[in-house]
Amino acid sequence: MQSIAASDFRAGMPPKPIGAPRDVKASDTGSEVAARSVSAAPREVLTSTTTRLALDRVSVQFRGRPLPAVEDISLDVAAGEFVALLGPSGCGKSTLLNVFAGFVAPTKGEVRLEGERLRGPSAKCGVVFQKHSLFPWKTVLENVAFGPRRLGMPDPKGVARSLLETVGLADVANAWPSSLSGGMQQRVGIARALATRPPVLLMDEPFGALDAQTRALMQEELLSIWDKLKPTVVFVTHDIEEAIFLADRVVVMQALPGRIAREFDVPFARPRAPEIMDASEFIELRREITDIIRVEARKSFK
Amino acid sequence: MIARRSHIQRLRIAVAPIALGALGLSIFIGLWTSAALSLGKPVLLPSPWAVFQSYGDLIADGSLFKDIQASIKRVFIGFSTAALIAVPLALVLAYSRVLRGLVMPLIALIRPIPPIAWIPLAILWMGLGDPPSFFITAIAAFFPIFLNSFAGGTSLKEEHVNAARSLGAGPAALLATVMLPSALPMIATGLRIGLGQAWMAVVTAELIAAQSGLGYMIQISRLSLETSRVLVGMTVIGLLGALMIGLLGILERRVIVPWNHPAK
Repeated sequence: MQSIAASDFRAGMPPKPIGAPRDVKASDTGSEVAARSVSAAPREVLTSTTTRLALDRVSVQFRGRPLPAVEDISLDVAAGEFVALLGPSGCGKSTLLNVFAGFVAPTKGEVRLEGERLRGPSAKCGVVFQKHSLFPWKTVLENVAFGPRRLGMPDPKGVARSLLETVGLADVANAWPSSLSGGMQQRVGIARALATRPPVLLMDEPFGALDAQTRALMQEELLSIWDKLKPTVVFVTHDIEEAIFLADRVVVMQALPGRIAREFDVPFARPRAPEIMDASEFIELRREITDIIRVEARKSFK
Repeated sequence: MIARRSHIQRLRIAVAPIALGALGLSIFIGLWTSAALSLGKPVLLPSPWAVFQSYGDLIADGSLFKDIQASIKRVFIGFSTAALIAVPLALVLAYSRVLRGLVMPLIALIRPIPPIAWIPLAILWMGLGDPPSFFITAIAAFFPIFLNSFAGGTSLKEEHVNAARSLGAGPAALLATVMLPSALPMIATGLRIGLGQAWMAVVTAELIAAQSGLGYMIQISRLSLETSRVLVGMTVIGLLGALMIGLLGILERRVIVPWNHPAK
């Protein structure tokens, strides 16, 4: 079990830049929270030329399985980019996210975070899980304050409070997670992942367990948070519309073994409203992706 | 949010179980009285009133409190010893595959031996008095605490571990802030069951291996055919057992695992 020491991460907080010199934006998560509490350097305009997260010919082979879960995948994610990993169940998209998060070590190839090889979970990558990942023994506030506390950031509770405000849950700060609805729990999960001001946010089907209405609201909520904080996001989903609506780039995966089937750039300007789902470009893109997914789903269905 | 209940409704919700319980108890005592009267043999079945009088005698001469004190001390020491060994051992075994493989078969073999079967060995080793009772209560409490704590240790969720690691928790923080709290609900359950087992075992141990305590008092009263005193012993054991487990239950809800019992 490897974990990056807390001191490594402290350097990742503003105003001290980390990583390669070209990677100036590494110091600025673009976070309002960061700006408020550290009076950080002025926000820089994000250009998508810097690679924040990279997979270099990554394969993952689980013991006792005939085929690798993912095979020979290379993928660069630019700083501030929102990438959706889309595919049928069993295509290895969650495995790939676990590789990004450092939970699963690739059998071949390597993962680089800000140019450095990733060797285990890093506090630079906030992770939002599918469900049931909040600590039930901590209050909502303490769940969000967990990361800041572990990293020795000043005023963990204050950080947690302002993030709960951002996700609209300030009034349930002292409740136990079990007393919240599924949608509220996921918002707490997002706040907790953002509390350490990570430059990267990894989301593993975060809205998959929610009903359709809540899910739609959460997508808009996520976009508005993203517009404010502009983290680099890798978002795993099997919902095609969700992927197109949220992402700058949709990476469609194929199953058995998991590989990248195709990538699509999403042309819609931000901020986005749900109305874009009715646009003809949206419908055309959805149809194109649906066709690929259908073929892939059928393959793994057999 | 749950709608606020009116005061009257809340009062009714609180009082109803107490009233029902009192009614059930009264019916039981009524049946007991009529059975005792129609039987007419106090040595076989004394009436509740006779038992009540014996309570008075035993409280007045101070012997009841001495016996209660002796039994509670034994349960407390045996139970605490068992908990102090069982909880850490269970957690260590839950997280170490090698140690688990080494120790679990042994535990599977020892576990079916009832505490009472340890009494001869306990007397041989320790003679009569307190030590064999500590030993027997500890054995009785150990297995429920151990098995539940072990289940608690293995119920650790991967999501929680991953979440904590991605938020900067190292091994020590993982142990203290994730593994231990994950196991706490089951540990609390184990403690509650273990306390009940220890309380039953102390009476058993005292019937045979001690010269004080509630079990000993029951045994002596049987030999002198003072059946109402036997029933005093039995009812005190019932009352105190229920009281201790009730208190531990409150401690569990308020202090040990409050998140499993959110206030309504």
